[in-house]
Amino acid sequence: MSSVLYGVLLVPLITAGAVLMPASSRGVKVVNIIGSAVSSLLLGFIIYLINTSGYLRLGALYADHLSSLFLTVIAVLSFTASLFSASYMEKELITEKQDLKALKRYYFLFNIFCLTMISVLIVENLGLMWVAVEATTLASALLVAFYFNRAAIEAAWKYVMVCTVGICLALLGTILLYYAQLSAGLGGDALSWLVLKENGALLDERMIKLAFVFIIIGYGTKVGLAPMHTWLPDAHSQAPSPVSGLLSGALLSCAIYVIMRNIAIVKASAGFEFVQQLLMALGLFSILIAIPFLLVQHDVKRLLAYSSVEHMGIITFALGIGTPLSVYGALLHIFNHAIAKSALFYMAGVLTREYRTKQILRIKGLVKAKPALGAILLVLVLIITGSPPFGVFFSKFIITWAAFAAGFKLAGGVFLILVAAVFAGMLYYCCQMLFGQPAGSVQQVSIGKPAMAAMVLSVAIVAVTGLYVPDFFNNALRLAAAIVIGG
Amino acid sequence: MNLLIILLMLTAFFLTRVTNLRTAVGIFLVQSAMIALASIVIGIETGEIHYYIAGLLTVVIKTAIIPYMLFAIVKRLSKERETNSVLSPNVSSLAAAGATVLAYGFIDQALPGVISRDALAAAVSLVLIGLQIIIIRRQAVLQIVGLNTMENGLYLLSLSVTNGLPLIIELGIVFDMLVAVAVLGILTYRIKISYSSTDTTLLRKLKG
Repeated sequence: MSSVLYGVLLVPLITAGAVLMPASSRGVKVVNIIGSAVSSLLLGFIIYLINTSGYLRLGALYADHLSSLFLTVIAVLSFTASLFSASYMEKELITEKQDLKALKRYYFLFNIFCLTMISVLIVENLGLMWVAVEATTLASALLVAFYFNRAAIEAAWKYVMVCTVGICLALLGTILLYYAQLSAGLGGDALSWLVLKENGALLDERMIKLAFVFIIIGYGTKVGLAPMHTWLPDAHSQAPSPVSGLLSGALLSCAIYVIMRNIAIVKASAGFEFVQQLLMALGLFSILIAIPFLLVQHDVKRLLAYSSVEHMGIITFALGIGTPLSVYGALLHIFNHAIAKSALFYMAGVLTREYRTKQILRIKGLVKAKPALGAILLVLVLIITGSPPFGVFFSKFIITWAAFAAGFKLAGGVFLILVAAVFAGMLYYCCQMLFGQPAGSVQQVSIGKPAMAAMVLSVAIVAVTGLYVPDFFNNALRLAAAIVIGG
Repeated sequence: MNLLIILLMLTAFFLTRVTNLRTAVGIFLVQSAMIALASIVIGIETGEIHYYIAGLLTVVIKTAIIPYMLFAIVKRLSKERETNSVLSPNVSSLAAAGATVLAYGFIDQALPGVISRDALAAAVSLVLIGLQIIIIRRQAVLQIVGLNTMENGLYLLSLSVTNGLPLIIELGIVFDMLVAVAVLGILTYRIKISYSSTDTTLLRKLKG
């Protein structure tokens, strides 16, 4: 049964090859959607297997409850992004006068990007995990630069440079981790996560702490934690919208996943106190940094990107609290944020197409001009800012609750104030886009059915997790939190 | 081995001074060759086949394919050279010297009494000097060389502190570096087309 782990790596690879074959743009689209559906179904099967048997292991591949939550995110997002691309990228082809070759390049890289993200989540070895994370940067770099205009090239250059330098520091940390493993006489399975976690008590505490500092700086760059977040708004705003959605929802989550795996090792070895201060400080600082940019933002996609920085801050803060409840909240928040934010980026893509601008001030009266779109945007904005009764509200609520329950009164208070400021800023700008009179003529570009389906599906999922968390999902989250934090 | 490390440091110091892109790629080639040699020397000392393979891999990818790609890019960038770096060559060499001192300090703090102290310090200073090149150099190609210098430093670090990472991971890292250079090469070429110069300080449109 565990050979299905090879399957999820093979399917995107085969799809990447297959999208190069068809002779029409329609063919490319159909092949990609089929490939992506098969891949998502396989991922769903793996998640089911993990839920029934606990974990899957096959050679260097390993997936447990923690992987399964993130695999769910990838399964949903890669499918919605494929659906959305089917409508969106074809229009790009017409408006940007790009040819079939560009479309094939897009879908090829898209599938390779999904492949690298899946491999981050199912390799057991921390060294190979590093290789996979670096591969995600490289696969997505040319997607960020897809339009090859000045802004896109600049964004891609900064993206690769900043993330690769960051990730080099993570490699330094990983090498130190290996050194600690060797010094403890655990030679056999180099950098195996299971070996390191189980024998945490044997590892040299000082070395592990040092390694973790480099690891959190390195992978933190990839997560977009301030002050290493500088690449994030550029890359997210310049990429084609489906890719922005994947970057923000799936890629940032994958980077958080790697940090979680490393936290589990540090916890087993050096205890949690050291990690706690670092993570809580980084988390609060990221939320704080995002606020001024959220309050004076003119570009709708940059607004969403800074909101991602804020949400990554919230998740890191929750990880720092380090109680089973807070990690549960963090995991639920990752899930909710990924799905809502990707849908918002898709929506931003539709808006920039309809109004032919990314300027928030020039997007007006969406509710009047396009009631259906307006309604979806309104719901999405309410979701992402954390209004009840949607999922994000509950995950934020759990995190705040956990902070006070663990005795962090000051940090919890600061957290609440910061989150309230973000709420005000986001809502203010989005109301400007939603209400008022439509300015001038709105482009009457019809949104394809697949794109609409992608957004509605996302809204439905997050609305459900707000009202009711199914038992199996609840259990999976608990078990995943236990993997990170124990207990 | 000590001679090798001294020569390696020398290449890093040269990199802080060059203005000609071709020369910079050439220096990088020499540097990679020495890293490969270091791997093979350790292979002879320990008699393990693992190091020969890793050394061979370094030779093929870092002294042949990556420099070849970089030379191909430089060829298309006629008349590009480093001017007006953030720091003058003298200051940046001085900063590199500072980085070396810092590296020794770091090693003595973090790993007191380790056997391969000099090799480790050299490795850490290579990482720091690589980072420094990326920060103060304006030319895209020089930044790519800086990135590779960092990676060479990390390779040397893994060689001297843990006798090298397992081969499969090493293979992955080298492959990633190769793809990174290819991607950055494509972007450099596009920067040249769009801005008619590969001075990365021109990339300042995205803000706020």
